[in-house]
Amino acid sequence: MALLCGSTSVRSQDLSVVPLDERWMFEESEVNGPDIWNKTWYPKAADHVNTDKPWYIVDATDKILGRLASTIAIHIRGKNLATYTPSVDMGAFVIVVNADKVAVSGKKRTQKLYRRHSGRPGGMKVETFAQLQQRIPERIIEHAVRGMLPKGRLGRKLFNHLKVYKGSDHPHEAQKPTELPIRDKRIQMTR
Amino acid sequence: MNKDKIFKLAKGFRGRAKNCIRIARERVEKALQYSYRDRRNKKRDMRSLWIQRINAGTRLHGVNYGNFMHGLMKENIQLNRKVLSEISMHEPHSFKALVDISRTAFPGNKSSVVLLEKKAFQLFYEW
Repeated sequence: MALLCGSTSVRSQDLSVVPLDERWMFEESEVNGPDIWNKTWYPKAADHVNTDKPWYIVDATDKILGRLASTIAIHIRGKNLATYTPSVDMGAFVIVVNADKVAVSGKKRTQKLYRRHSGRPGGMKVETFAQLQQRIPERIIEHAVRGMLPKGRLGRKLFNHLKVYKGSDHPHEAQKPTELPIRDKRIQMTR
Repeated sequence: MNKDKIFKLAKGFRGRAKNCIRIARERVEKALQYSYRDRRNKKRDMRSLWIQRINAGTRLHGVNYGNFMHGLMKENIQLNRKVLSEISMHEPHSFKALVDISRTAFPGNKSSVVLLEKKAFQLFYEW
């Protein structure tokens, strides 16, 4: 993604009127503008405002769960952008619709187990993919994507950029989401 | 080092580590060890960040980092990864030109796999 920095010469005052023997008083960055070639670029606050980030929408019908979650996580984290920075949230927002129709290959529908523990002894709760899809279908995609995002403060903030919905409508029409570009050829479940 | 120097280095530390000399001394020693180690780690981390950024930039043009660098090495373009990552962010058209140069120099593994399969197929039929 190209940065919109046209002129990099930000001058606080016109240095051409300064006599030569007093030019030492001014810093390199004031004279020639910020040094973009020797210092690795780090995003400023204006480079990652949430209101300017793109919104993507993807239909989960008959898509393989893991492959879909992987592409979503890459876009949420911002790893597809040339301006990727690990410590800053540069990624986009992703909306997933028809989350109840996501597919898995093999016998995972009845054999993949989702476990959670309440913290008390003997409090392990186990359910299969099919049961969880019956109960709370959004949690399947959320669980998959959360496992692929970094774990930490930033990762938890990134997770909030994922919006999963059961049916095919979503309340984000105002953000004008575009189609999520998927490059994986094996993501569509073929019967 | 005397106490004043230790407390000067312990500014911003958590809890008693900034106030009490026994704890501050330990934490400051550890902090100095970490900074020694991390001056060396920073060079590695920066290079890794440049490579990740170049990878993302080239994948936008359909080429991955490995093939891109191989093509550049073949053409003897000696731009380092720091500069390449800055070009990919600030000068997208120049970067596309570099990707095209790399692609003509090294088109990638896919074509060579297809060629090998064709050769094997031909040999099979010559029997």
